[in-house]
Amino acid sequence: MDKMNTMESVQPCSGSYSYKRDLLLNVWLMVAAVVYVISLFLLKHHPDWTPLTRGLVTLSPLIPGLLYVRSCLRFVRGLDELQRRIQLEAWLFASLGSLIVATVVNVLNASGVGLAGLDHGLSLWGTYILTFALWLVGTAVANCRYK
Amino acid sequence: MKNHLRELRTFNQWSQGDLADKLDVSRQTINAIETEKYDPSLPLAFKIARLFKKPVEEIFRSDR
Repeated sequence: MDKMNTMESVQPCSGSYSYKRDLLLNVWLMVAAVVYVISLFLLKHHPDWTPLTRGLVTLSPLIPGLLYVRSCLRFVRGLDELQRRIQLEAWLFASLGSLIVATVVNVLNASGVGLAGLDHGLSLWGTYILTFALWLVGTAVANCRYK
Repeated sequence: MKNHLRELRTFNQWSQGDLADKLDVSRQTINAIETEKYDPSLPLAFKIARLFKKPVEEIFRSDR
């Protein structure tokens, strides 16, 4: 039987880092990034393609992206029960935090209180970075609570 | 929930890491249960009871 997953096994600086586990978890994310770059290149150099073809090429990173989600779910299922709870709390904190920040920015913009650089709300990358930062905070707080 | 996990573990001269390996959980989980910051799931509680050959209610009891 495989040993349970640990968060340390996918953190490069930790003592129990496992290259194999990291690869199993993140390989589809890397594939998605490569497919995304290729799709951008193709769309730029083939403006003559039909809207259907362009749509399919644009959405092509979604397939490895969904496979990445599956890898994440499998990894979380293999986690120890306390780590699963910590991750659940951290993701809840990150997703609700992002939702609240996005709502606040939009409400402020709608009421005429424009925030510098956020006139059109949070960008896609801004949302990703905010969610990741809040996940880090959430994981650290939950880890401290159960230390 | 109160528990006697630390006493049982030290009686058997196991470290937290030893017990974690036997139960296939992390050392952090054992520590959190011993310090009563985390209540284990029912399957884990039964696993602990089986390992120490004691009834669950003898290891864990409600603090209410």
